Amino acid sequence: MKIVITLLQVGFLYILFLTGKFLHAKLSIPLPGSIIGLLVLWGLLSIKIIPLRWVEKGAYVFLSTLPLYLIPATVGVMDYGHVFAGKGSLLILITIGSTFITMVVASLVSQFMAKHNVKEEGTLS
Amino acid sequence: MNTVVLAFTMILLTVILYFVMNAVYVRLRSPFLVPILTTNIAVIVLLSLFDASYETYMVGGKWIDALLGPAIVSLCIPLYKQRDVIKMNVLPIFGGVVVGGIVGMLTGVLAARWVGFSTELLASILPKSITSPIAMQIAAELGGIPSLATVFVIIAGLAGILMGPWINRWFKIDTAIGQGIGLGVGAHAIGTSKSLEYGEQTSSMSSVAMTLSAIIGAFAGPLFGIWLFP
Repeated sequence: MKIVITLLQVGFLYILFLTGKFLHAKLSIPLPGSIIGLLVLWGLLSIKIIPLRWVEKGAYVFLSTLPLYLIPATVGVMDYGHVFAGKGSLLILITIGSTFITMVVASLVSQFMAKHNVKEEGTLS
Repeated sequence: MNTVVLAFTMILLTVILYFVMNAVYVRLRSPFLVPILTTNIAVIVLLSLFDASYETYMVGGKWIDALLGPAIVSLCIPLYKQRDVIKMNVLPIFGGVVVGGIVGMLTGVLAARWVGFSTELLASILPKSITSPIAMQIAAELGGIPSLATVFVIIAGLAGILMGPWINRWFKIDTAIGQGIGLGVGAHAIGTSKSLEYGEQTSSMSSVAMTLSAIIGAFAGPLFGIWLFP
């Protein structure tokens, strides 16, 4: 019985994704269907149309194996070896270097602002 | 080979390799052994050994890829459970995402332009820290190559999860918000899949950062491109 409920929830999450895809196509929202689906689910949970327990178990199935679903797309890198030959290898270094700077800046800015937030309001646990 | 058998083989291959690599990672906990990277390498090596193309792989791979959509939708759960923490930190989240996002687009493009790469490549590298469906749109709009944009997105994501632990140590990033925003802004969905290891608060921050970057990037990316290469 438990597994049936979980599978139903998985199916429901899939329907939310399809809804997102549909909205993307129909209303030409410039966001991918998955992110629209996420925002729709957020809305449904927030206005309490759907209780958290209707989706939580199914979502956990996806979240516990999330990297698996990213693999087919990442394997696509195999077709682009030629771009990174010779001078192109610099593109990899640039991507890595730029990602490093991006993460450091994003982390430092948010952490700094959050700590000041705490000092001013004294609310964050 | 029969298509059904082929598809089934590729799916099984990916799933088994993933669970094996995951077990190895759980055992050894080296940041270099994150399953998404090791599985990816193992799959590519195997395909090359059997002279199989990416197209052949995707006969089965597309079925796993089809589950990425609902998996991203599922990220709403940690997000929703942590809504109070998010509300309390609206400004720090926005600050980190906006500043980080701008730095991400500028540094990559400017460095590549300085080296002298073509506009086509610049437009493809610009959206590298934004989740791939949007990165493809942005690249296409600016005259880049969408599939190549995806490759840069993947390199950024994999590099991001490898560098994350060091960045946190070197720059004293010791809060859930700092660690989560860094992963989400720099390494999008791949970073967010890594952030789940740090717990619910960090993963909710990473999800917010990934989603916000996507939303902001969808609107700001093309503008940036027009300004950078008119």
